[in-house]
Amino acid sequence: MRNYFSKKIVVDEPQKGLSTFVLPTGVKEVITFAGSLPCGTLYSPRKNSEISSLAAGMLDKGTKNKDKYEVSDILESVGAEINFFNTAHHVQFTGYCLKNDLPTVLCLLGEQLRTPLFLEKELSTLKKRLVGNLERSKEDTKKQAMIGLLRKLYPPHHPNYALTTDEKIELVSSVRTKEIKTFHKNTYQLGGFNFSAAGDVSPDTINKLLKEQFSRWKKGPDIPYRLDLKARPIKGKKRRIPIPDKQSIDMYLGQAIGINRRHKDYYPLKMAIYVLGGNFSARLMQTIRDEAGLTYGIGASLSGTGFGSDGYWSTWATFAPDLLEKGKRATRNQIKEWYNNGITEKELKEKKTTIMGAYKVGLDSTGGLAARILSNAQQREKIEHLDKYPEIIKNISLDKVNKTIKKYIKPKQLTFVAAGTFDD
Amino acid sequence: MSPKNKKKEPGFKFIKASGGIEEYCLSSNGLRVLTLEEHSAPVTTFMVTYHVGSRNEAIGHTGATHLLEHLMFKGSKKFNKEKNTAIWSELQNIGAQINATTWNDRTNYFEVVPSEHLERAIAIEADRMRNAFLKDEDRQPEMTVVRNEFERGENSPFDVLDKNIWATAYQAHPYHHSTIGWRSDIENVSTKRLQEFYNTYYWPNNATATVIGDFEKKRTLALIKKYFGVHGRSQHTIPKMYTEEPAQEGPRRIMIKRVGQTGIVGIGYKTPEGLNQDTYALQALGKILTEGKSSRLYKRIVDPGLATSLFMYDFPFKDCGMFISYVFLTPETDHNSVEEIVLEEYRQIIKEGIKQKELDRAKAQIKANVAFSRDGSYAVASALNEALAIGDWTFYSTFMDHIIKVSRKDIQRVAEKYLIEDQNTTGWFIPQN
Repeated sequence: MRNYFSKKIVVDEPQKGLSTFVLPTGVKEVITFAGSLPCGTLYSPRKNSEISSLAAGMLDKGTKNKDKYEVSDILESVGAEINFFNTAHHVQFTGYCLKNDLPTVLCLLGEQLRTPLFLEKELSTLKKRLVGNLERSKEDTKKQAMIGLLRKLYPPHHPNYALTTDEKIELVSSVRTKEIKTFHKNTYQLGGFNFSAAGDVSPDTINKLLKEQFSRWKKGPDIPYRLDLKARPIKGKKRRIPIPDKQSIDMYLGQAIGINRRHKDYYPLKMAIYVLGGNFSARLMQTIRDEAGLTYGIGASLSGTGFGSDGYWSTWATFAPDLLEKGKRATRNQIKEWYNNGITEKELKEKKTTIMGAYKVGLDSTGGLAARILSNAQQREKIEHLDKYPEIIKNISLDKVNKTIKKYIKPKQLTFVAAGTFDD
Repeated sequence: MSPKNKKKEPGFKFIKASGGIEEYCLSSNGLRVLTLEEHSAPVTTFMVTYHVGSRNEAIGHTGATHLLEHLMFKGSKKFNKEKNTAIWSELQNIGAQINATTWNDRTNYFEVVPSEHLERAIAIEADRMRNAFLKDEDRQPEMTVVRNEFERGENSPFDVLDKNIWATAYQAHPYHHSTIGWRSDIENVSTKRLQEFYNTYYWPNNATATVIGDFEKKRTLALIKKYFGVHGRSQHTIPKMYTEEPAQEGPRRIMIKRVGQTGIVGIGYKTPEGLNQDTYALQALGKILTEGKSSRLYKRIVDPGLATSLFMYDFPFKDCGMFISYVFLTPETDHNSVEEIVLEEYRQIIKEGIKQKELDRAKAQIKANVAFSRDGSYAVASALNEALAIGDWTFYSTFMDHIIKVSRKDIQRVAEKYLIEDQNTTGWFIPQN
């Protein structure tokens, strides 16, 4: 297991600005791949952050040489898939195919990224569907509570900030074809283009096929996103988002922490939060669910720390309306106890074994591997970082974990947001 | 060593092999064991499937199988909090993925473990097979946990609509109720009832253990014998569920009106038991109708913006099933027009059949799905679990062989046989302001 990734992943740069990370595994026939270009929401023009999302959504609606039916026919006739989606920093794609169909699938991927057909009519239909999905998301108690939390913690234009659903609908509705074409022309280019693949795959084949597709693509300036915004000052805030006719409420308690994943305190803090609510045997599930029976699901996590962003930690839970107050109080008590007394040596030891075992279990399928390798590359980490991870975890000390809790967690200043149908 | 000798394992009777998977029976108590060695990653999945699900429940204790599944994590003779060997922590502390699921025909408990910890997973599953505590003081807090799971489901208009379509289509057969059960049953079922349920169905002769991944067969079978061999077979015959659904005489329709944003249309047709030969053609028909952007309903409904998305499912179950299509409408679309398009497409297939190209595409999609169902030890175990549920695990290993044989005529025939408008059940979710 030692240096598994460093030994097995073949790293290459078939074209300047395009890096490949290929992991041949023992699985037969199947290949999973993932990739990204730095042209997500944060690269959209300031006046409309949804342009990047619409551009990504249009990539499967035809190319210069193939209409959308030909595109879908090529993929579906071999049982393959390519899906595009937009994140704050990237346009990403994931896909899978059988080994023999890789040339067909990557050739199509190249066309879709290089020469998409941005038809007015297709954009209009896509917008209609996106607005429908956004309208439906107004019923989603978890999503609405999360939007509420992020708006309290971060200022507009911060990577972790979230627009309201109505704001998104308005922006999506106003995007024009011309804006998408301009965005594509200016941002879809070589430079920060990462591609990962895992399964029954040869690195040489991948590199050859990608070179064929992108050798004539221009190389843009390799400018990493620069973050010039910070979270709002910490102040405990409360917000209830009423959504009628719901039997379960989603609740968040959260707080911005001011550091990103490259900070020296990141892993000790992550470990502290894992002990509080990282899995079923963590404190929150053991006490609030297993002992008190107040919820089906509760957990804690550290998020939004990638690409230099100052992240946040949060606790999430669902409660029946009549148990919300009791559940919230019990959760706060657990956080208080964790803050006051820290975690124990036994807990630290157990969670270290958990994380190291989970690292092995994560090697079970190609899908998870391709995503893990891509994420590492996006964060501009070397492949060795994937192998160092267990070592980093192993070296975390109890003292350091408990100091980071005191340093970053402010139990009295947690922001509370809940969405659902409230009893009162 | 000849292949015949290879399959001789002390204490086990070799039953059969298919697609690289071998089936054994632990002679002392009737426990079935499936094995598939695959050493590409240092990971093994161990799973125990009990051949009991919500189809074995009746009025008053719907949801009992699922509630019992939850209680099975509360401790057993050797693995419990008092001894500091609680099931969750014993397994999660070694990095295992661990969980259990309940559905119509089966309940399964599984662990995906770093290979060196396989013995721990076997020991835990063996102990809780017959030595689970199932205490009343554990049921009360777990009941509210499960009730919150129910409440979360009720938050989703789709979940509510799906539950109601099944409840309308099936009136006598226990597929009438969903696995989570009715709220009042979750709240009121007694611990005694759950214990009775456990003592009726949780026996080695009503279970199958599956081991997939990085393990050594001889040693693993010896471990299974060591831990599960301590249990005898049940002294009683495992009860059979005998209720049959009477023929449906006319279309049925339901409407759910709740505060919401957008509408949903669901149209379901009864299908035969999973092991029926028509299942294969129905699976291909489902792909032709809704899988991918070239599918018939996607082109007619999603493409022009009448819906945000659609999908269908036709899970093969032990007794009978439902071929259901769901369409999630865009804000201005009316339910009627979409329902009519779906029915039109069904009528057209019944009348004119399908093109060879459509069938080829469906088969290619299924071929890729089958290949990916072998991507990782958990994926294989999970697919086998569903095949075990319907009564024959080789449904998984031979599935593609049957799909290859499906013809255009088969598709038209099953469409005509099962997509009968007089016997469908239609549900609308109508959002209220």
